[in-house]
Amino acid sequence: MELAISIGAVVLAACGPDPDIIAWRAGLGASTERSPEAEAALFPTTIHEPPELTSITTSDGVPGTACATCHSIAGVTPESRATSADEVGGPHAGLRFAHGSNTCGACHASDDPTSLRLADGRALPMREAMTLCAQCHGPQYRDYQHGSHGGMRGHWDRSVGPRERNHCVDCHDPHAPRYPSFRPMPPPRDRVAPVVPRHEGAPRHE
Amino acid sequence: MQTKADSHWVSYPRFLARALWSATDGGVTFYAWMTGLTAIALVGAHAWATQVAQGMALTGMSDHVSWGLYIANFTFVVGLAAGGVMMVIPAYLYRDHDMHDVVIVGELLAIAALIMALLFVVVDLGRPDRFWHLIPLIGRFHWPISMLTWDVVVLNGYLLINLHICGYLVYMRYLGRTPDPRWYVPFVMISIAWAISVHTVTAFLYGGLGGRPFWNTALLAPRFLASAFVTGPAFLVLLLQIVRRVTTFRVPESPIRTLIAVMRVTVLVNLFMVFAEVFTAFYTGGAHATAARYLYFGMHGATGLVPWIWSAVALNLFGAVVLLVPALTRRTALLDVALVGIFVGVWIEKGMGLIIPGFIPSTLHEIVEYVPSLIEWRVTAGIWALGLMVLTIALKVALPWMQTAPAHSHDG
Amino acid sequence: MSESQDFVSRRTMLKTAGATLGAAAFARALAPVAEVVEELGAEEFLQKHYREMTPAELEVVLRRIEADALENYGAEVHVRDVRPREGVQFGYALNLSVCIGCRRCADACHRENNHDRRTNQSYIRVLEMQQGSFDMEHGDATYDHAVPQPGKYYMPVQCQQCDNPPCVDVCPVEATWKERDGIVVVDYDWCIGCRYCEAACPYHARRFNWEAPEIPAEEVNPDQAYLSNRIRPQGVMEKCTFCLHRTREGRLPACLEACPTGARVFGNLLDPSSEIRWVLANKRVFVLKEELGTRPRFFYFFDE
Repeated sequence: MELAISIGAVVLAACGPDPDIIAWRAGLGASTERSPEAEAALFPTTIHEPPELTSITTSDGVPGTACATCHSIAGVTPESRATSADEVGGPHAGLRFAHGSNTCGACHASDDPTSLRLADGRALPMREAMTLCAQCHGPQYRDYQHGSHGGMRGHWDRSVGPRERNHCVDCHDPHAPRYPSFRPMPPPRDRVAPVVPRHEGAPRHE
Repeated sequence: MQTKADSHWVSYPRFLARALWSATDGGVTFYAWMTGLTAIALVGAHAWATQVAQGMALTGMSDHVSWGLYIANFTFVVGLAAGGVMMVIPAYLYRDHDMHDVVIVGELLAIAALIMALLFVVVDLGRPDRFWHLIPLIGRFHWPISMLTWDVVVLNGYLLINLHICGYLVYMRYLGRTPDPRWYVPFVMISIAWAISVHTVTAFLYGGLGGRPFWNTALLAPRFLASAFVTGPAFLVLLLQIVRRVTTFRVPESPIRTLIAVMRVTVLVNLFMVFAEVFTAFYTGGAHATAARYLYFGMHGATGLVPWIWSAVALNLFGAVVLLVPALTRRTALLDVALVGIFVGVWIEKGMGLIIPGFIPSTLHEIVEYVPSLIEWRVTAGIWALGLMVLTIALKVALPWMQTAPAHSHDG
Repeated sequence: MSESQDFVSRRTMLKTAGATLGAAAFARALAPVAEVVEELGAEEFLQKHYREMTPAELEVVLRRIEADALENYGAEVHVRDVRPREGVQFGYALNLSVCIGCRRCADACHRENNHDRRTNQSYIRVLEMQQGSFDMEHGDATYDHAVPQPGKYYMPVQCQQCDNPPCVDVCPVEATWKERDGIVVVDYDWCIGCRYCEAACPYHARRFNWEAPEIPAEEVNPDQAYLSNRIRPQGVMEKCTFCLHRTREGRLPACLEACPTGARVFGNLLDPSSEIRWVLANKRVFVLKEELGTRPRFFYFFDE
């Protein structure tokens, strides 16, 4: 009897996985966007809003200085064709600028320092910077919208709870967007024998 | 000799008592030998107990090399157990009468080796207290999917078969009766097939793992059998010589010659298979070759197994040469050295040379080396000592009674 | 006759003395085991397999585990039994173009899952790979320099939750199995510690508790589940469970939340509008060691 059961188990194992697994593997080709109604029924996804969006740290080290602090003074208007922070001078001096060959005016509205400027000339509030980024970085924006670019926290299942997502500028300094290099978390310490390093310079660990 | 009334219910306990008596009776050499083995076994027992209490961090193993000296020895002694069949086959299938007189030595070796194999598995368990989970019906025995459950079945089955055959024959001798072939010949025939299966299943244990290219070869089971049929006879030839020297048991010359004749073939087959694997690995390159390259030549400055494997190659080649040249084989001292060399050579080849490189490089191709810790060596020595104690006692009980048998009384 | 009887009894006495001495010596040698057995207790020794326990029996076990954590670690913890949800099949994907090798996922795993502090244990191992090569031979998991390095990419590897898991097949006692939502779990109280699964896994996903984990009381994560992150006993196997104590309640796994770049995508494979399904439909995904037929649920992809 037990033998029969066991043989049955072998046959089952050979036949393949349960229907759920077959279902998801078969459904892969079809991708369905969620309808607006369905979306509305879910907990919201909020986008984290970093303070850098509406303020800067001035060159003399004052953080959280709102743009309007200076730019409301008459005569303090951005130089739209500037290509480096030094050309702008003042509180912006020392700002690292490495975003392709863009000039300041490519993104900033020259007439309104608190706004951004879209490619078609329309003004865009600073808070909506993501739309501006998306003009050039379309594939990244598309990936972001589908959850495969940019960190997030909270719930995968938004029928249960909300989710918070990173903003582009959480990771990418808009003036020098390349992700900075930094020390990683410490490597694994393998219990007994040291892992043999692959290249010189790699330290040995206990 | 006995009436129906006081049949086996009376005589069997008497037999056991008598066996216990003769097992513990002997001269100074015997007591010294057993005391020495007991001492080593005690060291091993204590080392194991410490390992259980403090954790297997005391071993040299890691998440990269997760099996070590214990499983290496397990693999080897399973081969030793299977190798005993090389006496059974000539005795029962080829009706070799001289072999028949001493065949029980091979069967007793199988018993001792199987006990060692089971102990090597037990000491390798992280939770020996949960051993009962492996027992069918009260635990959850994952048969037939897990190869390890097959191993549990074949090892214990082989142990029971051999215990039955040896126990029955010796008991009949004790009663002064002629053994009834119906009660043991079928079991002997089963044991021959079973011996093959024991080592095949053990090879499948490793060979079935797709993620370990070094083991994932169809040649593994044949290789295991070939090496088993090298070490089994090598140990038996040495053992028969010792038996001849320290007991009055009559050991004819021809069984020894037969075993050497068997080894002449198996030692070459074994070497050939090792060569075939090495060729396939190195000529093809790729994933198979990385482990082999680490084993034979070292990699990225890690050379932990290189001395081991070349010792094994040298010992096996030396043994093969001695066995193949009849003039050398006739010189007993040289032959014995060669046999010990082969025994050690295969022990390395199937242990440190086969189990460990299965894990190096790891499945993520990292190289983490393995060196057995002192605890592992102590436990291993303890189990070998215990195995030799079992073998000594078994021979001591069985041989005097087997001796009293009239020559060629068996019914083969 | 009487002389020989004398002789026999004297021998018997000697033998009895020797046997007693031997037995006493073995008892003494095995003393450390006796201490362990004492600590173990019959209840724990006789505990049934997770899938055989009634809810009431499981309740007793959960409370005992909490008491043990308090006694051994000085930590107040809550251990739950979280079951799979109907209509959910978990899947995970990882964007190798975006991963920068910061190991924050590994670190988050370490803390979330109550890993041993001394060994810096984690279910995730991040390989630094050579650009232009998929040969793990040229990978390195122990790098300790600023990341990302030019010419390198980074590949975190953890349990792939295979649909055809070799580790489950080899287990001799059914201590590990695949749950209905696709997560491969271990009953830490049933595992005998033979490490066959560790040998069988092609992804280095399984870990053994070579000794009891060491965690300071204040660092113990008190939010625990029986099948996932409760503090594991010594001598048993453990593995990544996709943080089932979080994910089965709709939350994201700890490694994903820790990822600063969003390289990690997690979700329900049965939901066509889920992120994971979008990735599978729109990215060229691949799995590790596909040739082994393990059919992982963990996918990798590069951006174009």
